[in-house]
Amino acid sequence: MQKRNPAQQRYVVRFIPTMFSYVLVLFAATYLIRFWHPTGIALAALAVAPSLPLLGVIAIMGLYLVEERDEFLRQRLVKAMLGGLAVLLAVLTVWGFLANGGLTDQPPAFLAFPLWCGAFGLVQCGMSLRDRLTSSTAT
Amino acid sequence: MINRLKVLRAERGWSQGDLAERLEVSRQSVNAIETGRYDPSLPLAFRIAELFALPIEAIFVSPSKGDAS
Repeated sequence: MQKRNPAQQRYVVRFIPTMFSYVLVLFAATYLIRFWHPTGIALAALAVAPSLPLLGVIAIMGLYLVEERDEFLRQRLVKAMLGGLAVLLAVLTVWGFLANGGLTDQPPAFLAFPLWCGAFGLVQCGMSLRDRLTSSTAT
Repeated sequence: MINRLKVLRAERGWSQGDLAERLEVSRQSVNAIETGRYDPSLPLAFRIAELFALPIEAIFVSPSKGDAS
């Protein structure tokens, strides 16, 4: 496995604790809303709390794009992000029209980011596979 | 873009990793440039040319001139 460059190392150091905090905040907020039954500002604060670490993840991804000095890796990342965006738009467009026809519920907006992350990851896997099939071996 | 990077690297007995280290890029970048899957930016092309002490056009073949051979 190839050694991570400094930008990748910073990305991992930022990403892992942020995702860990997301899981903690999500469980805590869900638990408190369900069993404490808050109202007003407390409810709004608890409802929005899980989104904050995800906003952090978006910022961390953006920072990595800015800090990555390797132009090829940066270009690959942008391509994968755009591919993920295309998948997200396609899925939500079809889902939205299905919902308009009364066949499903409207797509929950909070799913947009996780869905994009999944699609982004799949596109990266596809790109890696294509590279492996078309690249010469390291000599 | 067609280029002579693999030949120049082989002449010096460098691996893709060696060249990547000298250029301060990833090995994937070197591989992608060698196989023509990625065209380097002008600054990176200049770095490559300076490393091999050759003019850029001695390493990269102009797309308008076609085949490298």
